[in-house]
Amino acid sequence: MFSAVSTMTDGDYDYLIKLLALGDSGVGKTTFLYRYTDNKFNPKFITTVGIDFREKRVVYTASAPNGTTGKTFKVHLQLWDTAGQERFRSLTTAFFRDAMGFLLMFDLTSQQSFLNVRNWMSQLQANAYCENPDIVLVGNKADLPDQREVQEKQAKELADKYGIPYFETSAATGSEVDKAVITLLDLVMKRMEQCVDKPSPDPANGGGATKLEDAAPDQKKCAC
Amino acid sequence: MPQPGDAINVAFLTDSERELILEVLRRDEDLRQAEEQRVRKLKMELLEIKRKGAKRSSGRYSERSCGRCLEPLGRMSGSSQCRACKHRVCRNCRAVCLNGSWVCSVCAKEADLKKSTGDWFYDQRVNRFSTKPGHDIVKTSLKKMPPLWKRETMGEVLLKSTELNSSQPATPVPRPRLRGVAATSNNNLPDNVSEKTIPLDVTEQQQQQQHSDTESVDRTSLHSLRTDTEPSLGTPNLPRQEKSMGRSSPAGSSRSNMNVSVNAEGLSGHTSSSVADAMSVVDRHSPSPSKRSSLLEEERLFKKSVRRVLKPSEFKSVLDLREEGGKEPEVSMGDRSKSVPGLNAPDADEEDEDIDTLVSIHRKTVGSSTSSLRGSKSTLGSMMSIYSEAGDYHSVEVTGDIVFSVRYDETIKSLNVFIKECRSLAHGDAARHRSNPYVKCYLLPDKTRTGKKKTSIKRNNLNPTYNETLKFPIARSAVLTRTLQLSVWHNDRLGRNAFLGEVEVPLDIRDLDAGHEECMALMGKAHLLQSSTFSQYKGELVISLKYISAKKPPTEKPKGRTLSLGKKPKTEEGGELHVMIKEAKNLTAMKAGGTSDSFVKGYLLPSKAKSTKRKTPVVKKTLNPHYDHTFVYKDLTPEQLKEMYLELTVWDREAMSTNDFLGGVRLSTGSLMVGNEEAESTEEEVSQWQKMMQYPDSWAEGTLALRSSMGNNKSK
Repeated sequence: MFSAVSTMTDGDYDYLIKLLALGDSGVGKTTFLYRYTDNKFNPKFITTVGIDFREKRVVYTASAPNGTTGKTFKVHLQLWDTAGQERFRSLTTAFFRDAMGFLLMFDLTSQQSFLNVRNWMSQLQANAYCENPDIVLVGNKADLPDQREVQEKQAKELADKYGIPYFETSAATGSEVDKAVITLLDLVMKRMEQCVDKPSPDPANGGGATKLEDAAPDQKKCAC
Repeated sequence: MPQPGDAINVAFLTDSERELILEVLRRDEDLRQAEEQRVRKLKMELLEIKRKGAKRSSGRYSERSCGRCLEPLGRMSGSSQCRACKHRVCRNCRAVCLNGSWVCSVCAKEADLKKSTGDWFYDQRVNRFSTKPGHDIVKTSLKKMPPLWKRETMGEVLLKSTELNSSQPATPVPRPRLRGVAATSNNNLPDNVSEKTIPLDVTEQQQQQQHSDTESVDRTSLHSLRTDTEPSLGTPNLPRQEKSMGRSSPAGSSRSNMNVSVNAEGLSGHTSSSVADAMSVVDRHSPSPSKRSSLLEEERLFKKSVRRVLKPSEFKSVLDLREEGGKEPEVSMGDRSKSVPGLNAPDADEEDEDIDTLVSIHRKTVGSSTSSLRGSKSTLGSMMSIYSEAGDYHSVEVTGDIVFSVRYDETIKSLNVFIKECRSLAHGDAARHRSNPYVKCYLLPDKTRTGKKKTSIKRNNLNPTYNETLKFPIARSAVLTRTLQLSVWHNDRLGRNAFLGEVEVPLDIRDLDAGHEECMALMGKAHLLQSSTFSQYKGELVISLKYISAKKPPTEKPKGRTLSLGKKPKTEEGGELHVMIKEAKNLTAMKAGGTSDSFVKGYLLPSKAKSTKRKTPVVKKTLNPHYDHTFVYKDLTPEQLKEMYLELTVWDREAMSTNDFLGGVRLSTGSLMVGNEEAESTEEEVSQWQKMMQYPDSWAEGTLALRSSMGNNKSK
């Protein structure tokens, strides 16, 4: 469904999609993104100053409802990395509103980082472009089972409560990293379709218009 | 919990941290510029498709032909309307969606565009930050939500902010409650004028403030009605800051920079009152406009007289230079005709400021020259404004060539235009068979005074050699969107400068590094005049129209997204037309720094009342202004409306000079003969106008492409 494209000539893409990673300091946001974009791992901890971003070009294949594959698009991903440290908080949250989807990360080896997911959620709800943006919950450092403090069941329950997907990833091994990002991208692309696929722009006035009720079932609760 | 507004405070960063972040933001800017470039191209494509589509003017097409390709439709396809635009289209002009339904090719392209430009996202974000329940709005706004233009990102804001750029964080200036004042009185205005402006704005602002306080309850309920993305409601969908944007710091400190903290703070009042503003606007306009306008008139007259004295040469630009129009149309038209480009010289807007009262003075001053020039076909369309400062440019038969080269200098980030020489120029001074030529250079669409460069004047020389380099400081990526315009002029120390010819060179396809010397034949103006009304992408205007029928309780709400303004029990005989000017997108930059200070002016024509002129406040320093301002026209019957049209024009406010025309739309039922003028509307304009009339008491929203000229264009 997705594959990386090697060339990155300017402006030669169909969609610019902006995603953002957030979560406590040290959960591995930077290494996660580094793994995703460059497929490399840097075990050193270098705290992110405020904000940063990485880019990657991928090919997205839209899936038709009947299961067949549709058109393919070139997607330019801008992946914002944010500082987890409290002192940058005001700066980083300001960037939430520019992102179309979010990787909410915690550290599987830190109970506290998991507890803070709730706070991050409310930060998102307050500062993102809409009240229920597309989010993927990511438990990172799955390669350290002996230090694990957060059980999969716990995390899964929380994700279900929010109605968002959950992945246990490892930036060190690369496990599930791509899948988490791609799932998020897929959510964003679907939302985009929903936003646009309306008898726009004025169904209220179009008395005789065919209402697009058939699109309703998988409609998000969002206002779009 | 940290509020986004606090983000603006970056004083806690160390210098090295600031540097790192700046570096990130610069990378982001590169990406953003590439994106903007891409988006612009896409929009051009859509425009192209739209233009090819038929049925621009509903008066002309048959129901039995395809709305897109104009092929006749078979009998069987009677019900095949595009579900989005309601046009009947043939099978070839449809695009099938994933779910099996279809829309016409234009609507499909529009939807595509919304996705690929990211507008789907920005539209939604815009909604978000103004649709919180009212209680919340107030709270949030008090906590300084930073204002964002629709497509603006935090990176952009921060990059522009002085705080991040200077190692010495700017100290936030304490702001008085009535901040709008400082900004509204533009720094360019002479002191006496600005002083006059202040009291007026204070009252306005106070009024708005009051409204926002008292109406918060209403707002809450209004907002809770909203469920859809498309802001087809009448409610303004963004915290707009007509004033806060332009609000440079009051005491004059760091005026040119967009100091974000200042902005953030400045917004507070306005965010909360965005809805209320619209309502109060409605109210303010209706009850006693006379008192207010008399104040305005006074002030404008004053302003006018100042300007008259300063720049008598401007008379020229306000002449009524209609091509066909030998005669003055009806009085009601005459009043506003000064301001509508295509019909007249576009620069005239300033004159229009209150033409209702000024017109007599104005006529007197320019009367004689007006009649002498009338009927000359020389000055058409918006191109005129480029030559506003001087020039008779049809008296000379254009001859000759110009030799020049263009090169981008990476080291100083400047586009260097080297003017080598001209050959075989025409005689600018016919009597004495000589020319004193100089070359003037613009990077269109920027035709501001600061964007103009000139060579020296060579006296009495038809083959002048200049060897001069004109430098335009501009980002390389921005160059691609520009067109180099070189015009040659004869300088006449006593009389008018005469136009000797020009060339226009689009820069997007040029090799900017080679700097090849080029020799081009000079052209007359004629080639420009053929360009169609929409030949230039001037951006879009988002408006909502609603006709509130008379004697009908406005509380009834057709279900869906309509919303009644509920506030106004009607006593008049006729109904009311509400025109909500929401926002404009991708306007042309007129000011240095690539922005414009724009406002929208509206006329309902032909007017039966004295003046139907309405104006929005000026929204400064943005090409994507949100006005969220409502014009109300009262006492209108549906029958009357059918015979009327609404002209909305967007202008760049130029404090010490004439305003620049940025584009316009004209909404009507199709082609109307008004006086001896024909008012033609495009398909989109017609469709929105008809929707308004067809569904009274509900908002008809639409995004209309701005015309580059208000002249009719039958050849298109």
